[in-house]
Amino acid sequence: MSEHRTSLNRRTFLAAGAALSVGAVAAPHVSRAQEAATLRITGWGGKWGQIMSADLIPAFEKEYKCKVITDTALPFLPKLQASPRSAPIYDVLHTNSNEQWAAVEMGLVEPKIDPKQVPNLADVYPFAVSDKIVGVSIFTSAIGLGMRTDKGYPPVTSWKDFWDARYAGARGGYVIPVNSLGQAFLVMCGALYGKGYTDLDAAYGALEKLKPMKLVDFTGAMEKMLLSSEVGICVIHDSGIYRYYDDKPPTTFVTPSEGVLALEQVLSLTPGSKVKELANAYVNYMLSPSVQKKLAQSVWYSPTNKNVKLDEPYSSMLMTTPEKVSKLIQVDWKWYNARKDEIDSRVNRIFRG
Amino acid sequence: MLSIRIGRWIYLSVNALVLLFMLAPIAIIFVFALNPTPYIEFPPVGVSLKWFDKFFASTQFMSALALSLEVAAMTTVAATLLGASAALGIARGNVPGSRAITAVMLSPLMLPAILTGLALFQTYVLLDVGRPLWGLVVGHCLVTVPYVVRTTLAVLHNFDMKLEEAARNLGASPQRTFFEVTLPLIKPGVIAGGIFAFIVSFDQFPVSLFLVSPGQETLPITLFNYLKYDLDGTIGAASVVSILLAALVVIGLDRTVGLRSYVKL
Repeated sequence: MSEHRTSLNRRTFLAAGAALSVGAVAAPHVSRAQEAATLRITGWGGKWGQIMSADLIPAFEKEYKCKVITDTALPFLPKLQASPRSAPIYDVLHTNSNEQWAAVEMGLVEPKIDPKQVPNLADVYPFAVSDKIVGVSIFTSAIGLGMRTDKGYPPVTSWKDFWDARYAGARGGYVIPVNSLGQAFLVMCGALYGKGYTDLDAAYGALEKLKPMKLVDFTGAMEKMLLSSEVGICVIHDSGIYRYYDDKPPTTFVTPSEGVLALEQVLSLTPGSKVKELANAYVNYMLSPSVQKKLAQSVWYSPTNKNVKLDEPYSSMLMTTPEKVSKLIQVDWKWYNARKDEIDSRVNRIFRG
Repeated sequence: MLSIRIGRWIYLSVNALVLLFMLAPIAIIFVFALNPTPYIEFPPVGVSLKWFDKFFASTQFMSALALSLEVAAMTTVAATLLGASAALGIARGNVPGSRAITAVMLSPLMLPAILTGLALFQTYVLLDVGRPLWGLVVGHCLVTVPYVVRTTLAVLHNFDMKLEEAARNLGASPQRTFFEVTLPLIKPGVIAGGIFAFIVSFDQFPVSLFLVSPGQETLPITLFNYLKYDLDGTIGAASVVSILLAALVVIGLDRTVGLRSYVKL
């Protein structure tokens, strides 16, 4: 009797253990099946993140009766890369354009968005869906020159003024291997002093001539360097200057005559997303005039929906007309990413030397 | 006599330089946190607590701070229990290959922590468990257990086994011997390891980078993201609070368990 009970207990124990193990592994699937549709996206922090989480995401969740989970903790690409293609960690990837190209090369995101699923795509400027863009650009900033206005510098009109000897030691730039503004500027150097945007030798030569130059890795650090007068002139995006509009610091943004470089905010969809319809709806929502206006006037990004009517001073300062948008120069990130290792190694040598 | 005085002077100077080297960055953080401008400015243009106001008023920072404290507390308990038990097992268990086991136990310290984080992240994704809080604690334990093992083994190295034998000969049970003889004697190493575990977990960035779940970010991750978008003195204020909290833990432990009598500096 005793032996029988022991045997039964062991079997029961093993069966219970197995059931528990299966249950533990299956639990997430079961509970997920019972949940409302969940959209997993990436997004920025800072002011952008505040507006999204306080206002725009709750409105989207209410309208589409879903839950949106936003990951604002970088880096997004390695996380997406580490998740299975059939069950990606994100449904919508929001990054700058250079990372989108890296993602599409790895098959992590879809190259284009179907206009039938996203009606607002019909209203965007052509650059937002050009062959230089994966997915769709929902906003852009303009990369140009930022300057102190209290240093007695002469008026700046061209990118080439950045090389003026009077700015030696007062120039600010980026650590090119880790910053897309720095990468875009390198391409511009090739066009300014060589045969075109792909003339890397000319770009390297031009960078040599900019030394000594103060370099930062985080984009946001440059505006602080300019505000604190650590640099007098720098490569910067317009939002980095305009966001201090109310404080009226002695700084200004210059649109060089050769044009400004586009710093696009891009959305793309992951091929393995299980909520494609919702993901397309989210992209459409982000392109809707009301959302575009709200975000543009909060973070000073230029909307890509051409029907958006911004208030003053946003309307006159941001890229809101076809004439202004025609000044935008888009970097060929597919070309750049294919040469990134070689470029990184060369610019590291330039700025170390 | 003169040479002794010169030697002493050099000794004090070197110590002062080392202290300056270690404390100067902390001093700069305090200046940044108290300066009213949103960037580091020397000389400071004034003293303001506005960045501390912003830090304590931010729900994002407060929830990150609370989560960091929660994770650090759980990690400290788990790492201390695991690390101390492992050290006892290695030192006492007559385990074959104990040196190899010790090397394995300490190996997470030799791996780049970011790889540990990425590997765990991928494991969780493959198991389809998402990025749970326990997953983050497991990650932190991986990099903190070695500290507890190391400090406990150091104490056990000089441990006089005869004391335990005497207790057993006098009729004490193994449990009583452990709690009344062994544990009090290895306490300095366990406590030192626990303090390391708390501080390493509280400041942990590379492992957390991949393991925090959306909306539930620890303080170092929140600071990193904030730095990317809104670099201002709030970063300085948060750093000052982190430094003070770490100091508070050490002081608190000193007051409650008499750290100074255990840890000889």
